[in-house]
Amino acid sequence: MKKKDTFYHKRLYPLVFMVSTTVFCILVTSGLYLTTLDKAEANELSFTRRAILDAGGLQYENTTAGIEKTYTDSIEVEKGYYIANGTEGKRFIIPVQGPGLWGTIAIMVGFEEDLKTFAGLAIVSQNETPGLGARIEEPWFTAQFKGKQPPFTLVEEGTSALANEVDAITGATRTSEYFRNLVNRSAADAQRIIRGE
Amino acid sequence: MAKKLMKKTFMEPLGKNNPVFVQILGICSTLAVTNKLQNTMVMTLGVMFTTALSSWTISLLRNHIPSRIRMMVETMVIATYVIIVDIVLKAYYPEMWKQLGPYVGLIITNCIVMGRIEAFALQNKPMLSLVDGLASGLGYAYVLLVIAFVRELLGTGSLWGYRILGSWWTNWSIMIMPPGGFFVLAIFIWVIRETIMKEAK
Repeated sequence: MKKKDTFYHKRLYPLVFMVSTTVFCILVTSGLYLTTLDKAEANELSFTRRAILDAGGLQYENTTAGIEKTYTDSIEVEKGYYIANGTEGKRFIIPVQGPGLWGTIAIMVGFEEDLKTFAGLAIVSQNETPGLGARIEEPWFTAQFKGKQPPFTLVEEGTSALANEVDAITGATRTSEYFRNLVNRSAADAQRIIRGE
Repeated sequence: MAKKLMKKTFMEPLGKNNPVFVQILGICSTLAVTNKLQNTMVMTLGVMFTTALSSWTISLLRNHIPSRIRMMVETMVIATYVIIVDIVLKAYYPEMWKQLGPYVGLIITNCIVMGRIEAFALQNKPMLSLVDGLASGLGYAYVLLVIAFVRELLGTGSLWGYRILGSWWTNWSIMIMPPGGFFVLAIFIWVIRETIMKEAK
């Protein structure tokens, strides 16, 4: 204890201590990261596949295995889009991305064979305000697009009546507007990607 | 004696030395995550885990950490635990992880974690520090849950995602937006200080 003032104690020891703590912490976290990497990637993939199934309006069992099964049975992967062969005929699903209020919103949009009528819609990822904008993930919101044709106009929550009207989310006007722009664009995207026009 | 000390260490952060309504620490996350009970629950569990274990770890190392670099070591230890929480959530509770996303990382900057280490763990034995960290996390947790209860109920008419109030209820959207957090927290602190804390004085 009396050697506290030596070069080692004053200069070297803190350095050695910090470096070894850092190395130890990095080893622990990266070890854990690597061991769970497969699982995390599988989750990610499962999320995307579930979104594709939802957009195609397919019924499936909501477990990793159930999603996997329905996906391999009834989805064909094409270049830049997906084809769902469900009980209600062929549907085309395209991924669409665009800006939201806080970050990128990525969705899957399913079309009937005319490439105009929406068969379904699902959110892949979004960073909107929890409890407000993030309500675009709620089933009632995504379900209202089914059977309708863009371009859509927004009306107050709970009042949509006409074929091209969709409910906006109260308290999340900006997110609703960004979302409307995104889905309105998707029909043109579908024409371009699937028909090559 | 030891038992008494343990009990005192455990009870203080729950009442008269509560990190949220007495020390006013960790307010940022109190405002951010309390608009839904479910998110709040996971967030508080993460904070409890982090405060308890990082206090314990720092306390173990307390006689070896050179005091000039102690802040760096503390941050490193806290960050390690938070990343563990993040990785575990991502792998096993992906739905929850998607919802909480950015908030989990913010546990690192939660003042309560570092505050307890600086104020307590550096001077006390590991077990006692673990109890102190856990109790501080609990003290934080119940305050947040009360606030989240009020905000979710008034803001969306539901609790834990289930609809409680009928369709006659008009949602107070302000409650789930950031201002709602300020209102409810302020009212909570005021009520506590006017009633329970006043008697204690």
